[in-house]
Amino acid sequence: MGSLRYIARRLTFSLCLILGVSVILFALINAIGNPIEILLAERPGITDEMIAAVSKYYGLDGSLTDRYFTWLWAILHLDFGTSIIFNQPVGELLKVWGLETLKIQIPSILLSVLVATAASVVAATRQGTKVDFGVISGAMLGHSLPGFFIGILLILVFSYWLGVLPSYGAYSTRSMLWNSVIADGVWHMVLPVMMLTMFNTATLTLLMRSSLVDTLRQDFIMAARASGLPERRVVLGHALRNAFIPVLTYLGALFGLMLGTAPVTETVFTWPGLGALYISAIQQLDYPIIMGVTMVITVMLVTATLLTDIAYVALDPRIRLA
Amino acid sequence: MDGNAELLVAPSAVPEASAAEVLRAPGVWRQSWYRFRRSRAGMLGLAIVSLVVLVAFTCSFIAPFDPNDQSAMMRGASRAAPSMLNWFGTDRMGYDVFSRVVHGAPTALAVGIGAMVIASFIGVIIGGIAGYVGGLLDEIMMRCTELFMVVPVFVIILAVVRLFGITVVGTPLERIPNLNLMTIILLLGLFEWPSIARMTRAEFLRLKHADFVEAAICVGATRRDILLRHILPNALPPLIVLVALGIGGAILAEAMVSFLGFGDPKAVSWGQLLYFNYESLKVAPWASLAPGIAIFVTVLGFNLLADGLTDAFNPRLRQ
Repeated sequence: MGSLRYIARRLTFSLCLILGVSVILFALINAIGNPIEILLAERPGITDEMIAAVSKYYGLDGSLTDRYFTWLWAILHLDFGTSIIFNQPVGELLKVWGLETLKIQIPSILLSVLVATAASVVAATRQGTKVDFGVISGAMLGHSLPGFFIGILLILVFSYWLGVLPSYGAYSTRSMLWNSVIADGVWHMVLPVMMLTMFNTATLTLLMRSSLVDTLRQDFIMAARASGLPERRVVLGHALRNAFIPVLTYLGALFGLMLGTAPVTETVFTWPGLGALYISAIQQLDYPIIMGVTMVITVMLVTATLLTDIAYVALDPRIRLA
Repeated sequence: MDGNAELLVAPSAVPEASAAEVLRAPGVWRQSWYRFRRSRAGMLGLAIVSLVVLVAFTCSFIAPFDPNDQSAMMRGASRAAPSMLNWFGTDRMGYDVFSRVVHGAPTALAVGIGAMVIASFIGVIIGGIAGYVGGLLDEIMMRCTELFMVVPVFVIILAVVRLFGITVVGTPLERIPNLNLMTIILLLGLFEWPSIARMTRAEFLRLKHADFVEAAICVGATRRDILLRHILPNALPPLIVLVALGIGGAILAEAMVSFLGFGDPKAVSWGQLLYFNYESLKVAPWASLAPGIAIFVTVLGFNLLADGLTDAFNPRLRQ
């Protein structure tokens, strides 16, 4: 039962990681100063007693270590506190705004896996030809294009010049497209999903193509060809499966960082998601939201890493469990 | 692998190519340069990076206007389309876009290089110690590295820059020029070291028992000499690739932080330009396009450079 023990060990380590990051996060954001003090300092007629009272209300009084354990205990019970600006439970806000983020992130990741697989199969089976060179160059260009710049270009072309797609928001404020909520929502999703897909696809294609080229050179591919399998099945059945293994790490990171890159995407498209919530929380120093969002992102990142590790063991019998 | 021996004899004699040296077998660095010259992507990257560096050093000569010159607004020529006078047009505040983009180059390089100098320093020390000493220390250090790899750097930088920018008001720290930019550089450096540490560790582990290191131990080289003169120079190639990639990544990260409005309002950076001009994208697209293209070209340059360097240092990777 080596693999079960391995998974148990990775799981324990992941929990330690989350705990460690929570210390770093808490220290970085709290060492700078009491957020309540910063928030109220600019307002006239604020006395020290008032600051102390508000700090107590948000659980920001006492020593740093006391506060950390109080906060950790609450987080463990999924209690993220109350937002200062919205005056609502942060957990509720995270759920509502987070779903909006997932709405554009999940489809774009799935789409980019599809597109990248197709592009890398086309390129790797025609290695060294003009098609291959074109795919690599295109992917390299896309890989260097900053995500938000892709978004700006898309808005310029599709919203301002062609005028066919909305440039901001998740829903129309006045008249819905075809009077249908679903059609209107999808219509607004097109540009953000397109931007994320283009951005993810480029890097994914670069990785998958080189992995597939490596795989196609290996002995078991020659064996498969020698056994008389049609080339299609050799590439799609045997090579592709193995070529996916080195790409897993990046795929895991894509899922893990899904929320981490959200602030940029959601600023470009004024999308009402977790990233936008986070940006406004920082601007208005809404401390519970800042801590909540960063913790959620960390947990996603660690979970994705853990799942990647487990997937490696499940997919690749060559990996020795060390 | 005879290149290692060459390096061992005369690590400092590599850059010059005097007539007396022609007969000697080329060292690893010169061999790599021969291979690098054949890599089309690498040469293109080198050209782009050289151009950016050149622009950064000569920016005050190239720029036709002062970066803080808003006189176009007085003429009623803000948001003017590109013309002979303003090559990339003017933005909503009457700044000449071309001058500001050119003045963004030194900022970008300072961010990229500054962050990577900090990251390399930390990474090489931690990775080097972990790889060379090994044992329990290695285990502890590598677990710490993994911890830093899952810290959501980008979102933390946003929060820290904003909070720090407020608390610093009224303290002596306020007098540091471009404090916000310095904070961003420092934070990028403090969180970008894990990949460098891992690579350094792997290289030190590999080289620790290499024949030429054993030979150096036999002739009685000190531990300092072994680490700094024998192992470190041979561990450099993969690290240089990582640093080239990291510079591009840091430039991009700063651009995103600034684009979100948490950059340094006193610095002229490409992300900052995008942040100021994004809201007038519809009427003055040139003011957003120019800095965006500048970021893209610079990051592409460093990525291509790293690509070429990978080929140059690992000839076996690509036949």
